[in-house]
Amino acid sequence: MSLIRQRLRFWITTIVMGVAFAVLMVRLASLHLGTNESLRQRVTRARTVRQTMRVGRGRILDRHGRILAMDLILHDVCADPAALLREGHHEFIGARLALMLQLEPAMVVGRLSQAGRRYVRLRRAVPDEELRAVEAMKFPHVWFEPASVRSYPYGGTACHVVGFSNVEGVGGAGIEQQFDRYLRGREGLRISEQDGLGRELYGRRLLEIAAQEGADVHLTLDLDLQEMVEAALDEALPGSGAVGGWVIVQRVRTGEILAMASRPYYDLNAYGRAPEDRRLNRAIGYVYEPGSTFKVAVIAAALDAGVVRPDQVFDCENGLWHYRGKSLRDYHPHGRLTVADILKKSSNIGAAKIALELGEVRVEEALRRFGFGRRTGVEIPGEEAGILHPRSRWTSISLTRIAMGHEVGVTSLQMLNALCAIANDGFLLRPTIVSRVTDPRGRVFRETAPEVLDRPLSAAGARRICALLERVTEPGGTGTKAAVPGFRVAGKTGTAQKPIPGGYSDDRNIASFVGVLPADRPEIGIIVVLDEPQPLRTGGAAAAPIFSTIAQRAVRHLGISPDGPPRVIDPTIEYSPPAFPESNRDSGQSL
Amino acid sequence: MNRDLLWKLLRRLDLVSVVAVLLLMAIGIAFVYSAGYRGEDQPVAGFHRRQIVWCAIGAMVFVVAAVADYRRIGAQSAGLYAAGLAALVLVLFFGIRVYGARRWLDLLGQRVQPSEFAKLATILALARFLSLPHVDPRAPSTLAVSALITGPPFFLIAAEPDLGSALALIPITAALLIVAGVPWRTLGLLALAATLVLPIGWFALGDYQRDRLLVFFDPAHDPLGAGWNSIQSGIAVGSGGLWGKGFLRGTQNVLGFLPRTVAPTDFIFSVIAEEKGFVGSAAMLGLYAMVIAGGLRAAARARDKFGQLWATGLTTLLFFHVFTNIAMTIGLMPVTGLPLPFISYGGSFMMTAALAAGEIQSVFIRRYSR
Repeated sequence: MSLIRQRLRFWITTIVMGVAFAVLMVRLASLHLGTNESLRQRVTRARTVRQTMRVGRGRILDRHGRILAMDLILHDVCADPAALLREGHHEFIGARLALMLQLEPAMVVGRLSQAGRRYVRLRRAVPDEELRAVEAMKFPHVWFEPASVRSYPYGGTACHVVGFSNVEGVGGAGIEQQFDRYLRGREGLRISEQDGLGRELYGRRLLEIAAQEGADVHLTLDLDLQEMVEAALDEALPGSGAVGGWVIVQRVRTGEILAMASRPYYDLNAYGRAPEDRRLNRAIGYVYEPGSTFKVAVIAAALDAGVVRPDQVFDCENGLWHYRGKSLRDYHPHGRLTVADILKKSSNIGAAKIALELGEVRVEEALRRFGFGRRTGVEIPGEEAGILHPRSRWTSISLTRIAMGHEVGVTSLQMLNALCAIANDGFLLRPTIVSRVTDPRGRVFRETAPEVLDRPLSAAGARRICALLERVTEPGGTGTKAAVPGFRVAGKTGTAQKPIPGGYSDDRNIASFVGVLPADRPEIGIIVVLDEPQPLRTGGAAAAPIFSTIAQRAVRHLGISPDGPPRVIDPTIEYSPPAFPESNRDSGQSL
Repeated sequence: MNRDLLWKLLRRLDLVSVVAVLLLMAIGIAFVYSAGYRGEDQPVAGFHRRQIVWCAIGAMVFVVAAVADYRRIGAQSAGLYAAGLAALVLVLFFGIRVYGARRWLDLLGQRVQPSEFAKLATILALARFLSLPHVDPRAPSTLAVSALITGPPFFLIAAEPDLGSALALIPITAALLIVAGVPWRTLGLLALAATLVLPIGWFALGDYQRDRLLVFFDPAHDPLGAGWNSIQSGIAVGSGGLWGKGFLRGTQNVLGFLPRTVAPTDFIFSVIAEEKGFVGSAAMLGLYAMVIAGGLRAAARARDKFGQLWATGLTTLLFFHVFTNIAMTIGLMPVTGLPLPFISYGGSFMMTAALAAGEIQSVFIRRYSR
């Protein structure tokens, strides 16, 4: 073999290896330099993890810290049908589980007989007691997953205020809806990288937003009082034949709502089965013609403006007055009555004449300043604004109708709040039902202070009308049944026929009583409204006794004494809300 | 051997190759460290420390092999070949089973791979046989004897099973036959025969081997199983870009997408490619090219035919490992467990590579000097 040939063989070997290396080089270049950005991003994305950290929903508490709504950690019962089926246990275990979980056996066995499925949830949120029993059985391929459930320990109590949140944890009514943002808290977010096994790499964390636990909402409601009020309503309603009834108890000096009950009601733990009608919070969401209770506002304005004096006499026309081609009737015919007696006896004709003295302009202004025709702004959704037409739309007789509480629509909260303004030296406060919102560490997000909306009356005028209203519950008044032994009660009855197409109904009305006590230094205001009491009865007959029952319990519970030094009023000082020390949880009775 | 002679020999070393080998070893230590690195707050796996030891021993083996006369080893070829076969038989019975394969022998507490030694012995025996004065490369008997020499170790290694290592013997034998002067026509026929036998080989493969082949042709065939390593190493290489992510900053490796067991060994190249980019991997390929070019140069200038064949065989061995490993990492070849010379973590192959490089230098030192 020649040397040349020998060399050639070497060169060929070298070239083969060189070509092989060149191929590697080309491939490397294409991989390194040709891998496009989108692939690189896809790789990055596959490696990035976004974790949201769920937080518990906040609680809803009454003014003494009793829990009205809370998250409860229960467990879902889950199973692996494929494994059970493979081992032939599905029928036996299915039947046992159905028995223990109160489910339909055929349904459970059916769900466990799906060979293609590895996961079924047999029952959500099983109570701990039942869960322990199932756990003790140690069924194979059956396990438990923690599940958060909204729980309302008091069931239907204050249901219209508390409201509910749905399974997704979104508030659907009441405080649960209105304060959803606070209650829900804020989910935490973590953006990080994960390794090949899907574990988060602590050192490569890119973003961490701490979770914010849901905040607690503290209500002004007093659960004891709420229960008393509801009990009183439930005692009285069946006998009254009414289709509905509602009560609000408000603190005169601060506007805080201590109790708010509405009937019919529903159980918050089963809100899904409650029809819409039961969910309606009638205390703020039901607009009705108030009838005589409304006279208070008109007469108070007239007295305060000085157009009438309490002892001024009006001719009440013996119960039938023709005015501008229309007739106006009194429930009981009266002859000549003083302004004070017009209020006490609730004469429609007298009230109409007083309104005429004051005139349309000042009547409308006074009513608007009392807050009629607009929402009070209480912190519960579903509040109605009521109806108070602008004067331009009034007819020639509107004034006489409005004076007796017709041609207007109010909510009970508006009516009560207006009376409380009278009791509160003329200061109209914003009714409030949430005292503060705090996070689990006690940080206060929001705190409600008494807020003056308007001042429809002077202090002296307010005092004067308040004194007149006391006479309503005294003998000879329409509201004698609202009397509270030992206490002076200022209030007003109201009976309004329900409007029907073409006029007013003869057999359906709304009977109410609104009052404050003690009259000389008012602490609490209460409104009681009955929807269609049957047989037909007046506010003085149907609502006043309920008022009396509730007021007696309330003063005892709240520790309001029947007598004491009357409050000294200096009309020159600026209004400042009196400081009420937050009552101690343990004693819990003082106000 | 006196000091003057030693110095004289060392001065005749191919410095380019020597420096390239040392650089590769240094790179190896650095990236074995990186492959064991999991982040600042994590302890680094201790592989790199042992790799330093292997490199030091490897350097000594290299020098001793370079200084010792290769012809004296050539004279022992028959005994060494027999010993290699014996070791291969031993490992079949007493080998340590790892992932279903018996590839390691326990030698005084140290795991060694007899196949590495046997491959060297086979090359030695082949080179020796083909360089015997009375052997005519054109005679068919020469081919037959060559096959008899290569066959037993091939099948014994394949039986472990370690097909990748066994296959290394085929291009080595081919290279030796080419350089020895076997007629092209004969070589062509041999290649044809091999092509025909190939499909039959499919049925001789184990399941995992077939999986690897299938995955090679279609990486999505089993992306989470057999295809995982090659897909992830492809991503690692590709995401390196031109300059790489920087030392210790390769995410595929640190994040454990590249399995920690293979990152410092068979897939070390992807760690380097990701962290040092195209520049780094091209530079590394350049270093290997220097070593291989140096080996071929040594073969071309060998003073005798045995030296020529011996150097050719060893160079082909190194080349085959470099090529197969990188090609596998970048998806040009099916996955085989062949390590990267001088860089991959591990003692047995470090010794083999150092010995091979040393023997090449031994041939080069004793070259023709004009």
